Amino acid sequence: MRMIPALELDDVCVAFDDVRVLDGVTATVNPGDSVALIGPNGAGKSTLLRAILGLVPVSDGHIRVLGTTPRLARRFVAYVPQADSLDSEFPVSVLQVVLMGRFREIGWFRRPGPADRAAATAALEQVGLADRANDRFGVLSGGQRQRVLLARALCQDAKLLLLDEPFNGVDSSTQELFLSVLEQQRAAGVAIVMPTHDLSVAHLACGDACLLNQQQYGFGPIHEVLSPEALRATYDTRTLLRPGDEVILTDHHHH
Amino acid sequence: MRHLLIEPFEFGFMQRALVVSLVIGCVGGIVGTYVVLRRIAFFADTLTHTVFPGVAIAFVAGQSLWLGALLAGVASAVLFSLATTNRRVGDDAAMAILLTTFFAVGVMVVSRVHSYTNDLVTLLFGRILTVDRADVLTTIAIGVVALGVVGSLHKELVFRAFDPEGARALGFSPLALDLALNLAVTLVVVAALQAVGTVLVIALLVTPAATARLVTRGIGPMIVVGALLGMAAGYAGLIISYTASVDHGVRLATGATIVVVLTVAFAVVAGGTWIARRSAPTVVA
Repeated sequence: MRMIPALELDDVCVAFDDVRVLDGVTATVNPGDSVALIGPNGAGKSTLLRAILGLVPVSDGHIRVLGTTPRLARRFVAYVPQADSLDSEFPVSVLQVVLMGRFREIGWFRRPGPADRAAATAALEQVGLADRANDRFGVLSGGQRQRVLLARALCQDAKLLLLDEPFNGVDSSTQELFLSVLEQQRAAGVAIVMPTHDLSVAHLACGDACLLNQQQYGFGPIHEVLSPEALRATYDTRTLLRPGDEVILTDHHHH
Repeated sequence: MRHLLIEPFEFGFMQRALVVSLVIGCVGGIVGTYVVLRRIAFFADTLTHTVFPGVAIAFVAGQSLWLGALLAGVASAVLFSLATTNRRVGDDAAMAILLTTFFAVGVMVVSRVHSYTNDLVTLLFGRILTVDRADVLTTIAIGVVALGVVGSLHKELVFRAFDPEGARALGFSPLALDLALNLAVTLVVVAALQAVGTVLVIALLVTPAATARLVTRGIGPMIVVGALLGMAAGYAGLIISYTASVDHGVRLATGATIVVVLTVAFAVVAGGTWIARRSAPTVVA
């Protein structure tokens, strides 16, 4: 029996008001694979994530998630936003945030039950924050909030994990923890897609890479794809590269 | 105490006014929590004004004010959603256009009636002392429906307010949730029509919840404190306006008095938390 890919992108284009922000993205991600999306700001990495989530329509090409449409696959796709995109003053507890990962399973109108609380608590234990369950989400540090959002995704029991710049502004212990949790997830057959600026972390966390800057500049095993030439092409002339290190932007050209 | 707790309520009209103020104070405080968390106070204010022409038309046509308000509220919620689908029209501009247009239509309709000023004032500012038994029952029924809407969608409304992208990604339509919350707000406006009128009802929705937010850390406590504050202000406003009028011969509109009581409570609490924070700077908020 052929394995159903976690994600298939077939010549995907996304356009807003006739302006193409993504063009010709083709990739296959199998269960247990981990793909780094690499490209400059405004390259369309977040747009691609949103398209995989079914939040923006594809103007050309096809996206299949777990063998079906993004909308139908939602239950099995977990999205981890950047922690600082959420209001830290919002009066929710850590446990309440993690429980949100169960809401799709629970369904409209119904309240979380003991089984959901148990799953949320277990997920918090996995990220080492079980003792902070009743604290307000906003009082945690940035790295801890990022861990809470990872726990939220874990308790969703997803088959595809989408993480938006998960290593942005996190401390080294959180980075270690993320790497080990993601490794466990991959071993359990979960596929991972993450935009990241950090090439060294991409090498640690991902087996594959997809180079993006409006169009695709390469996709495949990360050691083959992240050649200096390919990176220079992706980032145009606006960047200076130090192999195995973060990409440093040298010019603040805005489109 | 007897003077405050029992005597005023020996009159039937005061008993009915008390029930109505407690109900709308409670419902306003609870629904208002979601309005404040979702940061749509200005949109809620728009809804309160767009309900007005529905009330005016129903009044002139001799139909049920409740029904007129409800239809206008639903119409404006839908129109607003349509107006903002074009992203070049910002939410704030769409709201300002809707608010003024609907309000102007309401004034035009009412101005065709002989007793213009008197009727206008009643519709805009309410007249809680004239509610009858049927009004009391309608207020309670509408309040229960509004609470049913936010109560059954509690987890979805909180999720949507906290993380709109995440909620959408899990298939909880923000549009559907916004419409549901708008419906609940419209119901509160309709319920409060007799008591405080369409202009001041926004205070019942926003002020208790905003005050509660200052002194609570979770959403559950915020809902409880908001409801209690709304009810306390309803009671206090009623008593103050009654006492001023009966004992001191000063006429105070009850609805407006309730609003002032709420604002004073907010100011006291905001001042108190400011002082507490300054005197204990090491405490993490």
